[in-house]
Amino acid sequence: VSGPSTAAVADELRGVLADATGRAELRGLPLDTPLFGPAVGLDSLTGTLLLREVRNRFGVDVAAEDLNLDALATLGTLAAFIGQRAQLPAGSA
Amino acid sequence: MLPVPPAGCADVWWLDICTVAVGRTELAELSLQEHKRAASFAFRADRRRYTAAHVMLRRVLSGYLDIPPSSLVFRREPCPRCGKPTGRPALPFGYGVHFSLAHSGDAVVIAVAGQPVGVDVEQQPSGCVCALSADMNAADAAWGRPLSEAARHDLVIRWWVRAEAVLKCTGEGIGHGIGSFPVLGSPDGPPGPAAPGGPEQLVAATTVHGCSLVSLPAPAGYQAALALAGRGSAVRLAVRAPWSSLPRRAARAQPPG
Repeated sequence: VSGPSTAAVADELRGVLADATGRAELRGLPLDTPLFGPAVGLDSLTGTLLLREVRNRFGVDVAAEDLNLDALATLGTLAAFIGQRAQLPAGSA
Repeated sequence: MLPVPPAGCADVWWLDICTVAVGRTELAELSLQEHKRAASFAFRADRRRYTAAHVMLRRVLSGYLDIPPSSLVFRREPCPRCGKPTGRPALPFGYGVHFSLAHSGDAVVIAVAGQPVGVDVEQQPSGCVCALSADMNAADAAWGRPLSEAARHDLVIRWWVRAEAVLKCTGEGIGHGIGSFPVLGSPDGPPGPAAPGGPEQLVAATTVHGCSLVSLPAPAGYQAALALAGRGSAVRLAVRAPWSSLPRRAARAQPPG
């Protein structure tokens, strides 16, 4: 059983970020965008909310599983990290 | 020159970034490091917020120190938990002036005190923030359970700004755990929204994690909190620049850079 694709996870992360910040432009973030540097301007609340939503939606605790937090480098690395570990619930697309 | 606030007191400066013109004169006051950081933002609105906030911070501190804004040099103190250079921003030699800067949406707030101070502001998010309940201290999260969803969102943001203000005051990052101590607890229930205040007010404080914590009167749609190092029953706030001191410019104002 394979997990969700990087592209699908990235799309969901973009949606989480756009909903949390009310900024529609985040739905178009390229995969190579650094997430927690200044590029996206995420504040600490949005960053914490993103990681919490990742845990709720994909069952992946990024901070606990990746002690160096390398997964947080870009939207693409985070999506790939989640895709490798997450299992979609049965019946989901 | 402005006097540094005495013990138990803090000066508060609000800024609406829509009212600030950031031109060549203002940009010339920033350091190379600040210019590099501003250039790395992907979105103009973020770049503008960062630039306006740092121009304002330099000008505010300049008023207390009698040092030109462009001559100020900032450093990071070590985190008291892990020793990494991620602690409170500070001036070399200190000068006896402590400060904290926060921004969210169009709002920038700067707190200045004679003792370590932390301030935070958050615009009420457009989406659901209930997921953050899992990051809250259990005692704080319990207050939110019986509330309606809208009231719970309000409480979660109140929790966040109060916890963040304390962690900024102590210099600990949120990576060390933002829910490790309660910030909403009291026998009477969680604190309500901060009451609107005049230019000077004495606000009853809660002692949290070695700090005196108060909710800060904030612009409509925002919540804010301020923490002063040390245990005090109240904090005297002096608002040096109120939110509505300048007319808002049109949103089409050109960002710098």
